[in-house]
Amino acid sequence: MSITQKQTATQSQKLMIFVLSMSLYGLATLFTELIPSFQVGIVEFSVEFFLFIPLILAMLFDPLSAALGAATGELVFSEIMLGQFGGLGELEKFLTVTIGVYIAGRLVKDPKNRAMVGVAAITGTAAQLLMGTVVDILKVQLAVEDFEAVAGLPESVFATEGFAFLNDLLFSGILFCLLPTLYLVPKLYGKIEPLLGMAPRTPDSAVSGISPKALIVCAVGFVAAIAAELAATAGMSLVDWEAEWAGNGTALALGMVAAAVIAIAALLIIKRNVEKKAAVK
Amino acid sequence: MEKLTKKLSENILDKFSMDFLRSQVLKNAYGNDDTVIAALDPRVLLAWYLFFGLVPWFVNDIPFLLGCFLLVMVTTLLARVAGLVLFLFALGVFTQTGYLFLVTLLFGGDASAIAPLLVLTLKVATISLASVTVFSGLDPDKLSNGLMWYGCPERLSFSISYAYRMLPMLMEEFQNVLLSYRLRGNPPAHETLGGKVKYLIYQVKIVMQSFYPLMLNTAKRSRTTVEALELRGYRYAAVNKSVKKLKLASLKITCNDGIFLAVSLLVVAVALLISTLL
Amino acid sequence: MHAVEIDGLTYTYPGAAQPTLKDISLQIEQGDFLAVVGNNGCGKSTLCKVLNGLIPHFITGTFEGKVTVGGLDTLESEVAELARKVGYVYQDFENQIVRPTVLDDASYSCLNYAFPDYMERGKTALRQCGLEGRENEYVWQLSGGQTHLLALAGAVSLQPDILILDEPIAQLDPMHADRIYEVLRDLNENHGKTILVIEHHTEYIADYCKHVMLMKDGRVRWMLPTGEALQRVEELEGCNIFPPQVTQAAYALRKRGSLPADAPLPTTVEKGLKAFGSLRYIPGPAASAPERGGETAVSFQDVTLSYRSVKGEPRTVFQGLDLDIRKGERVALIGSNGAGKSTLMKLMVGLLRPNAGTVSLFGEAIGEKRAEDLSRQISLVYQNPEEMFIKDSIRGDIAYAMEVRGIPDWQERTDALLSRFRLTGLQDRDGRLLSGGQMRRASLAIGIALDPGVLLLDEPTANLDIATRREIMAVLSDMKDIIQTAVIATHDMQLVCQWAERIVVLCGGKVVADGPRDTVFSHREVTRLVGIRPPEIFTMAQALDQRALCYTVEEFLDRFQEG
Repeated sequence: MSITQKQTATQSQKLMIFVLSMSLYGLATLFTELIPSFQVGIVEFSVEFFLFIPLILAMLFDPLSAALGAATGELVFSEIMLGQFGGLGELEKFLTVTIGVYIAGRLVKDPKNRAMVGVAAITGTAAQLLMGTVVDILKVQLAVEDFEAVAGLPESVFATEGFAFLNDLLFSGILFCLLPTLYLVPKLYGKIEPLLGMAPRTPDSAVSGISPKALIVCAVGFVAAIAAELAATAGMSLVDWEAEWAGNGTALALGMVAAAVIAIAALLIIKRNVEKKAAVK
Repeated sequence: MEKLTKKLSENILDKFSMDFLRSQVLKNAYGNDDTVIAALDPRVLLAWYLFFGLVPWFVNDIPFLLGCFLLVMVTTLLARVAGLVLFLFALGVFTQTGYLFLVTLLFGGDASAIAPLLVLTLKVATISLASVTVFSGLDPDKLSNGLMWYGCPERLSFSISYAYRMLPMLMEEFQNVLLSYRLRGNPPAHETLGGKVKYLIYQVKIVMQSFYPLMLNTAKRSRTTVEALELRGYRYAAVNKSVKKLKLASLKITCNDGIFLAVSLLVVAVALLISTLL
Repeated sequence: MHAVEIDGLTYTYPGAAQPTLKDISLQIEQGDFLAVVGNNGCGKSTLCKVLNGLIPHFITGTFEGKVTVGGLDTLESEVAELARKVGYVYQDFENQIVRPTVLDDASYSCLNYAFPDYMERGKTALRQCGLEGRENEYVWQLSGGQTHLLALAGAVSLQPDILILDEPIAQLDPMHADRIYEVLRDLNENHGKTILVIEHHTEYIADYCKHVMLMKDGRVRWMLPTGEALQRVEELEGCNIFPPQVTQAAYALRKRGSLPADAPLPTTVEKGLKAFGSLRYIPGPAASAPERGGETAVSFQDVTLSYRSVKGEPRTVFQGLDLDIRKGERVALIGSNGAGKSTLMKLMVGLLRPNAGTVSLFGEAIGEKRAEDLSRQISLVYQNPEEMFIKDSIRGDIAYAMEVRGIPDWQERTDALLSRFRLTGLQDRDGRLLSGGQMRRASLAIGIALDPGVLLLDEPTANLDIATRREIMAVLSDMKDIIQTAVIATHDMQLVCQWAERIVVLCGGKVVADGPRDTVFSHREVTRLVGIRPPEIFTMAQALDQRALCYTVEEFLDRFQEG
């Protein structure tokens, strides 16, 4: 009698990759948070210096687990631990990192093929950066209400974001994503897999390239990232209070102040009673 | 500012003590568990954050924004957040808006650009401080329980508490690997400017390379961890509703939560009142 | 009913050519305290993972035979179900702890299995494991021994009938090791748990275990009561298991004809007292005190060091520490877990800077030197060799420091080091994928590559089985000619006694004893206070005759003759 339970095994292997990717990339982003910016003049190099870590893991193991792990790691280690959580912006980053890494991982059929690894690394990075740039531009546009009206602002935003994108891709993307990936993937291939109790990826075992389904999933993800921003615009009209206040704003505000004061007073009394009871007991 | 940035990037390995970083992160997570903010219910705080983290984006009313800003500043002080986090906050606000201002000037903008940017700065600062209050003020377990109550995936809340558990170990390992490079490596002399650039490149290279051993060592660790999680019922719990109920049973809303919300409401209302009177 | 029944078990890891476990059949009684022994790679850990169902439910492979644990067939039960029958503590136990606070971790399993009283269960487990009163501490505040107890508490919390521990005391000082075994004995005797330990330390087996099982090449050779098992000296040594020193001595005496051939060999000091009653102590020549003097290699002057802590006051490690290490000395640094041994070493390589006072190396303050320049004068071999492997082959690792410094004949020197440490055949392998002993040898080769004036070794024999430990000790004495000054931080008293000329005892941030082994070990107050324990044979000799100072079995055999 012999058994091989594929399903649970892959489940746990996915968890292992998730944990691995999360810890490593999380730790790395903790440092990037502290090396705030390599600024040359006015342009900020906002590249993910350590994106090569999830890229490598996605090429060697299950791409989706590695991608989700990396995004979670960044969220938890550098955003939540350091109190840098920025609400909507994080959702966008989470999704773009996941998609970029996932694409790169899916592109590699054979980790021994250097050309394939290189193309995948740069494609993944470019995808991540491009999505980030689009969302960034939208963000500033939304936040500054009279965006078009301010002299020089739209041009400057497009110019800096565009330049930063190219610069990030050509300079940092090559230095920090492409080269480390090319250097480390062959070194790790065949060594790291046995440590996790898995078989190395081969052209036969690899999940084949980018399927239409994967593409759709990525597109949906990116749309969701933008939607996070668009929700903002929609939300803006929903919470468009200023028009309402014009009429009886003062009265409403006064009412709120009164309500708040009463609530505080009531709660303080309740609290004192509770404490008294506790003291009696 | 630039000097500081330069200093930080100049000497990644020397200046940047891993011990300091570790102690700051841990202090931030667990060193302030006896503050007023930490004692609040995470669900209440998250709801509070939902307001102060979102609404300022959509409002351009200056008295309102100022009121919110003052409030979150007080809550940040109450949460006794670690110094490093505040430093990062300041840096974040600057890199988000300060430099945009400089660029705007460069492209022929004038003083008219200042007002919207000031508003933008105020917004960014308010939102950042609100997140600092909630995510640094709460201890990670409460935070993850709160998130779970709102229906966040189990894996996220597990990741949060596991990350805090792992971080000291990971850092120590990373520190030792870096030390290996430091003790055995031979960095270029860095007295001249050219040498300094070379030294910086050398250091960046070392940090990159040190992820090779780190990846393998962490792989070994995570295997044990995942096996242990299996034995300790992690996957079993993930699909079991009653476990979630048990975990969340410890959450309780008290009078303090009500007072906290009411005071916040009061501040917002006063700010609105002032804005309508102006 | 038996706690464990195995019938015809054969198991092969996925992709492996040979089965790791071959046709194993055995029964383990309820309430047994069983030691599993065997050399590295004989399948001990694999067998334990079969018992808790990780094999075959989590780790796939080819599995044949029937395994019943606590009445459950492991093939037909879920891991979750089995986890409530079998608790498991890993060798790298710190990776098993996933929650930040003590009580949280102890009750984690119970919470996951939806016990409403999970907190209570966690507290009970902590009480049973002697961690009462530490419920709210954070995991990183615990010492190594306490962390191990916490991992045990996590396993105990589900109240399984069977507990499995993989090398529970490999990294612990004797005091903490005793604690673990006392807790295990209590669980065994008073709570009716069946306990399985994988253990190399036969002294502990003799003191605590009821049965011993010997494994070799994936098969069970035998399972016998402890007293009987340890009699089989030759067979055990054939598998690289070394019986307690008392037993080894008795075995040699029996061979010499000094002990009757039919009497059982003693396994503990008490039994030895009876068996060796007829022996007389013959004083040997007084040990000549080693010369002190010569140039100072490392010097600590009034050093104070404290760590930042997460909350409250910083923790002081050293307060006004003074210590000189002279050129040519072989120093052993001992003390309990957390006494500051590793910290002292970090100070010597300049990784930590003292808050006050100076640490100087060959007369120059370390603060003035750059860490990179230090490396020719001093070298540190970590406790965990994996952190020293920064290249993808051990050849690359050994060569690295010489290569980047442009040492002229670095190629030849690397070859020489590789052959000296018998690593030539393995030179292209990654260090992490080697066996424990090979890893240690490689890390030693890396440490001496630059011919440092001072070599620091942090726990060079931790986590090794006895055979590999002997091998490393041989390498160390072999290195005496190339390394002038060496400092070893260790719990391994056999290593201390055989290797060191000078022993420095640290306790509470101070040097409480300093001198050759005779001075330190005959100082009872100190050994009791610090919780260090001389090798068993030393205690045996002392019990027979107060004057006797024997550190090795050979010395014992020389000094004690038939009366």
